[in-house]
Amino acid sequence: MSDYSEGSKGSESLKFATLVVLATFIFVSYTAYLFYLQVIRGVEYQRKAMTISRQIEKLPAQRGEIYDRNYNLPLVLNVDSFALVVVPAEIPPEMRDTVFSRLALALDEPLDEIRRLVSPNYYRLFQPVEIASSVSQDVIFRIAERMDEFPGVSWYSRPKRNYLESGSFSHIIGYVGDISREELKIYYNKGYQSGDIIGKAGLERQYDSLLRGKDGRQFKTVDVRGRRMAPVSQDVEAPLMGKNIVLTIDRATQILAEKALGERIGSIVVLKPATGEILALVSYPSFNANTIVEKGGNNEYARLLADPRMPLIQRTIQSSYPPASTFKTIMTTGIIEEKAIPLDEKILCTGEINYGDRVFRCWIRTPGHGRLDLAGALAQSCDVYFWEVGRDRLGIERIVSYSREFGFGQLTGIDLPGEVAGFVPSPQWKERRFHEKWLGGDTLNMAIGQGYLLVTPLQLANMMAMVVNEGVIYKPHLLKEVRDPRDGSIVTKTAPEILVASSISKETFQKTQEYLRGVISVGTAHYPLSTKAVLVAGKTGTAEVGLADRWHSWFVGYGPADAVNTDESIVVVAMIEASNPWEWWAPYATNIVLQGYFAGQTYEEAAGKLGLLGRTIVAGARVE
Amino acid sequence: MMAAIKKLVKSLDWTIVIAISILMTIGILFIYSSGVTSAGDIVSTEYAKQVVWVVSGLALLLASVMLDMKRISDYVPFIYAFFAASLVFTRFFGKVVNGSRSWLGIIGDYGIQPSEFMKIATALMLARYLENSLHEPSTFRRFVLSFAIVGLPMGLILLQPDFGTALVFIPLYLAMAYVGGINRRYLLFFIVSGGIAIVMTIMPLWQRIIVAKPSILLRILYEPPYIYFTLLVIISTLALSLLGYRFFKKNYYYWTAYVSMMFFIGLGASIVGQRMLKDYQVMRLVVFLDPSVDPLGSGWNILQSITAIGSGGISGKGFLQGTQSHYRYLPQQSTDFIFSIISEELGFLGGIVIFSLFFYILLRLVFSIRSIRSVSCTSFVAGIFGILLFHFTINAGMAMGVMPITGIPLLFLSYGGSSLWAICIGVGISLGIGARKFDS
Repeated sequence: MSDYSEGSKGSESLKFATLVVLATFIFVSYTAYLFYLQVIRGVEYQRKAMTISRQIEKLPAQRGEIYDRNYNLPLVLNVDSFALVVVPAEIPPEMRDTVFSRLALALDEPLDEIRRLVSPNYYRLFQPVEIASSVSQDVIFRIAERMDEFPGVSWYSRPKRNYLESGSFSHIIGYVGDISREELKIYYNKGYQSGDIIGKAGLERQYDSLLRGKDGRQFKTVDVRGRRMAPVSQDVEAPLMGKNIVLTIDRATQILAEKALGERIGSIVVLKPATGEILALVSYPSFNANTIVEKGGNNEYARLLADPRMPLIQRTIQSSYPPASTFKTIMTTGIIEEKAIPLDEKILCTGEINYGDRVFRCWIRTPGHGRLDLAGALAQSCDVYFWEVGRDRLGIERIVSYSREFGFGQLTGIDLPGEVAGFVPSPQWKERRFHEKWLGGDTLNMAIGQGYLLVTPLQLANMMAMVVNEGVIYKPHLLKEVRDPRDGSIVTKTAPEILVASSISKETFQKTQEYLRGVISVGTAHYPLSTKAVLVAGKTGTAEVGLADRWHSWFVGYGPADAVNTDESIVVVAMIEASNPWEWWAPYATNIVLQGYFAGQTYEEAAGKLGLLGRTIVAGARVE
Repeated sequence: MMAAIKKLVKSLDWTIVIAISILMTIGILFIYSSGVTSAGDIVSTEYAKQVVWVVSGLALLLASVMLDMKRISDYVPFIYAFFAASLVFTRFFGKVVNGSRSWLGIIGDYGIQPSEFMKIATALMLARYLENSLHEPSTFRRFVLSFAIVGLPMGLILLQPDFGTALVFIPLYLAMAYVGGINRRYLLFFIVSGGIAIVMTIMPLWQRIIVAKPSILLRILYEPPYIYFTLLVIISTLALSLLGYRFFKKNYYYWTAYVSMMFFIGLGASIVGQRMLKDYQVMRLVVFLDPSVDPLGSGWNILQSITAIGSGGISGKGFLQGTQSHYRYLPQQSTDFIFSIISEELGFLGGIVIFSLFFYILLRLVFSIRSIRSVSCTSFVAGIFGILLFHFTINAGMAMGVMPITGIPLLFLSYGGSSLWAICIGVGISLGIGARKFDS
C-alpha cells in the first residue's frame, strides 16, 4: 500500500468526480428519455400497442351467373370455396418456418411451394399474399380452430366457378383464373388487383367487367391479441355482385349440334339471321373448363395446349378454311346481280378445262356435267361453269368485290375474344406479297372458293344470313341480355346491329335463294338433307387441302326455305376438317340439326328419325 | 477471527446489499412474468432457477466480503490463469448457445459461463498489476502491459465468439486504468482510436442503409481504393512528424504524430473489422439508429421493445398485464429485454425505481473508495463500477432503442446464473474493500 503525496489528493478526487459525473450524466439522460418515451409519447405507444395492424379484408363480389337464352337453368354456378392468404409482415420472423410448415401440412402442399409464393422479398409486406385459391371449408375450419398457431394467416370466401355444362359450352363460356402479372399490368387502372379472379377465355373474358362486379372492402383493425376491434360502419365498402348474363345460345340446340358433330374435328354454327343471335356454336375437340379452374388446372391447361388437335381453339371463329363450293353462293349472287351471263345460257361441262399449261378438272370427271345453266350449275356444283363464267364474264375484281360484300376477310365482331378475319386475296395483294402476277389460274381457283381464299365457319354463316335477309348481315352475338343478379330484371338487352348492308338487289337474293333450294331439291345435297321437318336451302362444299383421299366437308344451309318472315329462320353451317378420316358428314350433320331444331327433337330423336343414329357416311371418293 | 467478522459486519454498507436484493427480487418477479403467456400458462421455470441463483448469489456476495485484497494478492495470478485456461477449454469443449461456444455444462440445464467470471479475475489481476507497477519508470510500458492483461481474455472471448461480453472489458479497463493512474494521454489515444475503429467499421453499412445519400467525403475513409491513399497520407504524416520530433524536439511534432497514429490505428482496425464482421452482425449494431430500415429483421426487437416501454405510461399496465410481453411480441424477455417488460408493467415510476437503485449502488461504490489509498483497491472497485455502469447503459439503452443490440444482460435483473454470481463476487469484494478502509 503506497501513500500518495498530499499533492495528488486533488487529482484523486478529480477521478472520483469524473466517475460520479459520468454516472450522473447517464442516469439523468436515461431518466429524461424514459420520461419522454413513457410519459410524453406514452399515449401514442399505447395506441400502437393496441393497434398492431390495420388490415384490409376483401369482401369478394359474387361473380355473375351465366344462363342460356331461356333463362331458366344457369350454365355456370358459384360454389363455396375459400382463398387462403397470409400477411407476411404479421408472422413473427422466428415463427416463420413453423407457420410455413404448418400451412404446408394443412393445405397438403409442398413446403417449397409456400416458400415460393411468400418469397423473402415479401417478408416485410403488409398486404395479403394469396397462397391457395380453392380451399375447401373443412381445411378452413381446421385452421380456424387453431388460429393462434397461424399468425398472419387469414382467408376470405372466394366462390369457385362450377361450369354445369362443359364440352362445346366451355369454348363459348371460357373459364376464369388468377390474374397474371401481365394482365395486371394491362388492367391495373381498371381496378384489378393482384389475387383477383379474371376471365381468361371465352365470355368469361369478354364480359369480365360485367360478371366480376366490384369487390367490397372492410378495413379491420386488429389489436395486439389478434382480435378484431369494433368495425366502424364507414370502414365497410359493400361488394357489388356481378351481373348475370343471358346468352343467345339455346342449350338444347347447342347440345343437338354438339352431338350431331360427334367426335369429328370441326365445327357447327347455328345462327338466327334475323337478329345475328347465335343459337349454337360448337367446336370439336373441346375441353372441360372445370378441369382448368380446379387445383392443378395449370397442368391440364398445358396438356390441352400441347394436344396436336388443338382443343383450345374455337374453330368457328379462330380457324379459317377455303370455303370451296359454298363460295358458289356468292358467285351466283354476283352473276345474277351483274347479269354476267343470261340465266338461261348454258355452258358445256366436259369434266375439265385447259388453262395455261394446266388441266382443271371438275369434281365430276370426264364426261362431266354436260350443258348447264346457272341454276343447274349451282345445284350440281359444276366447277367448269363457274370457272368459265368467273374468268370470262365476271372477272376477278368483281369476285373479290362480292366476297368483301359478304363480309369475307373482315371480322364479324362477335363478342368472343380471338376471332380471325379469314382472307380474301386480290391481284394487288398477290403482287405485293409474292411479286407475282395474278394469273387466270388464280381466278379459276378463287371462283370455286379454293386457293388463297379463307373464311371462318361463322363468316360462312353470315354469308348465308345475307342471302336469307336479302341484303343485310346482323352482327353475330352471344349476349342476349344482362340481368340484375338480385331481382332478375333486364339491365340491357342486345339490339340487332347491322354489320353489312348490301346494295345488291332483293330480287337477286330471291333468285339465289331459289337456286340454293335447288341444291337440295334436285342437286348434290338432295339425299343428305332428307329432313321433312323443314324446307331447306343450302350449299355443299368440299375443299381440297392437298390430300389425295380427304377433304374439308362443308355445308351451309338455312330453313325454312319457304318462310315469309325470316324471324324463325336459322342458318346452319357445318364444317368437318380433312384431318378426320374421310366422311361426307357436314350435310348430314346439318340435316340432323335442322330436323332436331324444327321438330323440337333431341339429337337421338332427330338422328333416329333420319336413320342417321350412330351412322357414319363412308364415301370412297370425293363428293359434292 | 470472529471479532474481525463482527467488525466487518458492522462496517459493511448494508444499503448496497439491500438495494441489490430489491433489484434481484424484482428480477425474479419479472422473469416469472416473462414466462407467462397471454393465456396465463406458465411456460418457463426460469424464475424458479433464478431464485436458486439469487440466493446462492447473495451468499457468494457476503462470502466475498471476507476476501481481503491484500491477502489474496499472491493467488490472483493463479486465479487469472485458471479462468484464462477455462476460456481456452470452453472455446474447444464448451456448449454452443446462441451461436457462441461460451458455456461449460455442469449438471443438466445448469451451466456456467467462464467469461463472466473472467471479468472479475481480470479486474483482480489488473488491480494487482496497477498497484505493483506504480514505480514503473516507463508509463508507456505500464499502459501496454496493463492493457495486455485485459486484451488476453478479451481476445479469448472474441474467439468464442461473444462480442457483447468481450466489449465489457473495455469500460472495465478504462475505469481501472483511469483510477489506477495510467497516463491519460494513452487512454485518450485508446478511446479515440477505438472510437474511430468502431465508427468506421459500421460506416459503410450505415451509409448504405440508413443514410440515403452517402457523403462523398466520408467514402475516402472506408471505400477501397481511396482508403489506401488516405492511409498512405496518414503514414507519411506520421513518419514526417516522428522525424521532425526526433531532430527538432518540438511539441507540435509530437501531437501531430499522436493524432496521425490514432487515425492510422483506428482506420486500420476498421478495415480489419469490416473484413471480419458479417453484414448482419454490423446491421445489429447500427439498426438501433433507425429501426425502421429493418422493421421485421433486426429492427423488430427494437420497435417492439420501444412500443412495450412507451405503452407502459406513467404507472404501467400492472404486473402480468403487459400486452407486448405476454403476447410474445418481445423477444428474449427474461434476459436481454427484461427492462422492457418491467417498464411496460410498472411504467415510468417503476423505471425510475430501477434507475435509482442502480444509481445508488454506483454512487455508494464510488464514495466507498474515496479515502482509500491503495491503488489495487480503488481500481478494482472502479472496475466493478465500470462493469455495472456499462451493462446498465447498454442494456437499458438497448431496450429504449438508443444503444445497439449486443446481448449483454442487465445485471441483478436478467435471468442467468454466471453473470449474477460474477457480479455478486465483484460487488462483495468491493464491499469488503469499503468495509476495511479504516483498518490499516
